[in-house]
Amino acid sequence: MKKIFFYLWILLIMSVCSYNLTIHYIPNIVYEVFHNKIEKNQSIGDNEIKHFDIPNHKSRDVVMPNPDFLYSTIFYDLSEKDLNINANMPDSTYWSVSFYKPNTINWFVKNDQEFVTKNLDLTLTFNDSGSENVIKSPVKKGFMIIRILVEKKDQKSIELYRTLQKNIVIN
Amino acid sequence: MKNKIIIPILVLLSIIIGGYIAFKKINSSVQNNEFSIKNGNWTVNPNMDLKDSYQRAYISRIGVFALDEKEALYFLSSKDNNGNPLSSDFDYQIIGSPPKGRYWSYTLYGEDYFLVKNDANIYTINKENLTKDKPIMVSSTKKDINWLPSGNETKFHITLRVYNPDESVYKNLESLDLPIIKKIEK
Repeated sequence: MKKIFFYLWILLIMSVCSYNLTIHYIPNIVYEVFHNKIEKNQSIGDNEIKHFDIPNHKSRDVVMPNPDFLYSTIFYDLSEKDLNINANMPDSTYWSVSFYKPNTINWFVKNDQEFVTKNLDLTLTFNDSGSENVIKSPVKKGFMIIRILVEKKDQKSIELYRTLQKNIVIN
Repeated sequence: MKNKIIIPILVLLSIIIGGYIAFKKINSSVQNNEFSIKNGNWTVNPNMDLKDSYQRAYISRIGVFALDEKEALYFLSSKDNNGNPLSSDFDYQIIGSPPKGRYWSYTLYGEDYFLVKNDANIYTINKENLTKDKPIMVSSTKKDINWLPSGNETKFHITLRVYNPDESVYKNLESLDLPIIKKIEK
């Protein structure tokens, strides 16, 4: 009888630990599921950029996509080298660069009005930085999203922004 | 020998029990909009303490890869002005102005939080494509102007996004005048 209580007590303690660990790692699980889904569905690896078209009802990679945006994404890994982001961004619409930790927290966002130029020339590094164009990542691995707003859905606007989107270069 | 069997069973059971309760609790918090600010039938993305792992788990479930509240506000509603769930069985008018900001849009999502299939491929009404002084019509049948199709969704949500909101918007999120979603006869 004593032994049963002992086992129940152990089960309770371990369940509490399991509960806390699950809560702690739910964001990382969500992130990893998304990471694997993108790698598998889009055939891209870390430090490779993927340009997505304007979302529609077939876009099922991430919940609540904004159908006014062109998204470019990258799973970055700074273990071996820094990442350079070069682009000629639009000058007449909202765009932004944002970074996320593997626990899905948005640790950096800067939009077109906050950048001094539309010619994007950024370096993402895990090391210390001292320059305005260098962004220090708090994590070696994470996720970046560049959003370009396409408010008018006429063909000319869409084509213009698609061209600019495809010119975003990562090296 | 007995312990060699019992210990792994206890470990496995504890993982299942702890994990199940954790997911159940987070899902319940999401459904009850536990950390959201409420304004009428709208809820807005929450004031979060991101050092708290429970709140981090919560946000990863409701809006993974959303922007922080300084960049964008996300107002969500799944109910009409009478508190009834939004459904494509009915038509709705969105009456009133969105909070001031650089860009705003209304987007309709199904119960699964993905965009709703419709023949017209219209998913959003925004600051640019809105015909001013006319209400936004949410309907499963085609409308000539400001039409936001609801497809065949038995339940859906409307998200109002405001990018770079005016400073004043943040000051009274709970009492801010927000548009109403009014049910109308088909």
